[in-house]
Formats: sequence, C-alpha cells, structure tokens
Amino acid sequence: MTSTAEPTAAPDLIDHLSGIQPGTHLHAVRHARDKVASATQGSHDLFFDPALENSLSLNERLWVAYYAARLTPHTTLAAHYLEQLSASAVNESVRIAVDSEALETLDDTRLRAILSFTRTLIESPVHGDRAALQRLQDEGLSTAEIVVLAQLIAFLSYQVRLAAGLGALLSAGAA
Amino acid sequence: MSEPIRSHGFTNEVLGWKAWLPTIDLVSATHEQVAVLQESHPQAKTSDYYLTLAHHPDILRQRSQAFNAIMYAPGGLSRAERELASTVVSRINRCVYCASVHAQRFEQLAKRNDVIAEVFSDPASAGTTDREKAIVQFAIELTLEPASLNASHVFALRDQGLDDAEVLDLIHAISIFAWANRLMLNLGEPVFTAP
Repeated sequence: MTSTAEPTAAPDLIDHLSGIQPGTHLHAVRHARDKVASATQGSHDLFFDPALENSLSLNERLWVAYYAARLTPHTTLAAHYLEQLSASAVNESVRIAVDSEALETLDDTRLRAILSFTRTLIESPVHGDRAALQRLQDEGLSTAEIVVLAQLIAFLSYQVRLAAGLGALLSAGAA
Repeated sequence: MSEPIRSHGFTNEVLGWKAWLPTIDLVSATHEQVAVLQESHPQAKTSDYYLTLAHHPDILRQRSQAFNAIMYAPGGLSRAERELASTVVSRINRCVYCASVHAQRFEQLAKRNDVIAEVFSDPASAGTTDREKAIVQFAIELTLEPASLNASHVFALRDQGLDDAEVLDLIHAISIFAWANRLMLNLGEPVFTAP
C-alpha cells in the first residue's frame, strides 16, 4: 500500500487528460469532492501498479484498459492506455486483433478469454454469466485474478463516464 | 413501505445475492481483509458480494471510499436524487438486484416511490417533475452513450436549477453505478425469496 498511501500527492490523471487546470472553476468544483477524486486516482494507481498482488500482468491489464476505452468509445483514454502499452513493446498482432475486432485470431488464448470477458462487461453487462467465469477459470485464472479483472473493467466503465461528464461540464463553461 | 412494485422483472422488494465464485472465509481472513470489510458496509461480513470483493482488499478499499463518498457525502445533490440516478442506471443496465436496493433507499429518503414505478415501467419517460425528468434523461444518456455527452446535456440540467456541484454529484452517482452494476451482474446473481 505504500505506493498508494497518498494518492492526492500524485498528478491527477482525469484532470490532466480532461484539461481541468488548477485555479479554474471546474477544478474547484471537482476538488470540493476530494474524497471521490482521491479514491478515483487511488484506484487507477492500484489497477496499474506493476506490482499489484494476485493479479494479471501489467501488459494484460493495459490491453483490457485500451480495449475497454476503445469500445466505449473514449478517444483520449484509449490513446492514454495505448501510450502506456507502448512503454514496453506493443505486440502488433495483438493490436491488429483488438483494432479489427478479431479476438478469435489471437494466439494467446488466455488474453483472448480476458478480452472477450472485457467486451461483454463493457457492451452488455447483463449478458455475463457463470459460463463466462468458467472460461476464465479454464484459462487458469484464479478466483482473485477474476475478481481483479471484473473490478478493473467495472472501474474503467466508471472512469470513462466520469471523464465524459467532466468533459461536458468543461465545454459548458462556468454557469 | 407502501405497496410493492413489480414491473418488467424489477422490484423494490428486498432481494438476496449469491456469489458464483468462492467467497473468502472469515475464519482464515487476513487482518486487512476484515478491516476493509468493516470500512465498506455495516453488513459486509455477511454479504456474499463483499466477501467476493475481499479477495483483493486494496481494490475493495478504494472502491468503497469512492462509493461511500459519492452516495453519502453531505451537501450538493440531494441523497434521494443520487439514489434516483442510481436506480435509473441499474434499470438501464438491467441489474435487478441493484435496482431493488436503490429503489428502497430512494423511498426511505423521499417517502414516496411514484417515480420508481415509472423508472421500472419506462425509464425514457420517467420523472414526476421536469427536474426529475432531466436527471433521469442525463442518467440514461451517460449510461448508454457516454461518447455523445456534451454541453447541451449540462444546460438541460442547469435549466432545471442544478448548479455545477450538483451536476458533478449526479455524474458521480451515474458513473459509480456503471462500476457497481457490472460487478453485481457478473460475479453472482439475485436471489428471490419466497413471499
């Protein structure tokens, strides 16, 4: 927990990507709810901590995030996660499969199952079922890994809507 | 509570929820898992939902801090209107369990459930006042079409008297249910107890 003990000390990703500058009306409005802002950033820091325990690899988590943002869609967040993927070498065959909606062409069956689960939760969450969890278990995901994956996708659904809402507030200008 | 609402598969009656994955065992739980459960919800130690999420206590802690700050913080958008937005999102995402819980919370706070019956029956036209209709429409739009949200949606709320702090609280209440619904729908299922 030491890396996330003071989430407010780190730069705020949503403010940064949305262009919400300190000293502005919207920044003041948002940070009047600072517990929400810090738990949002704290969640993000935790989900993309390379050392996250009981978890998917950082690379797998970033593919989930990129794919989720791409499906929603949220251009800015998708670009952010692709940039994070580029920090290591982006596997071009994975990128082609994700960008062309051809998950069935992925050789990595574990990643294929993870991204299929991502698509269901992003596009049609009511259609998740026990069989979807079984497919993840069949690929060797532990219970804790499945919980982390579901939490990650659910968080991304929250994050894109928060960013979209703040974007609309920003373009509306001060009342 | 007044007459129960049962409509389109949704209800404001109390439902249970059971996990599809093995839950943590409190007897062998770590100190941190127990502490996070206590921070999260008064009944977390007997809830399959929290006992599932406690497999990763650090993530559950951040989730609970966000959730509790969004739904319970004083000031800003009334707590009843936050619960209305949460119920609309749960209806749109078809989370029967979440809709039931937050329909009950709305009724406890607002002392009425007329708008909840409307949300269950036809969310697109729901709202007993123009302000409620604007809140419901915004919740539907941000849930289904986040990419199309723009300044006009904010102006529609301002026209009904919401200030920007209230709009932010509304955005938070809608967004946190994008999160909550996906966990409830994909890690387990509602349990309908016999009347």
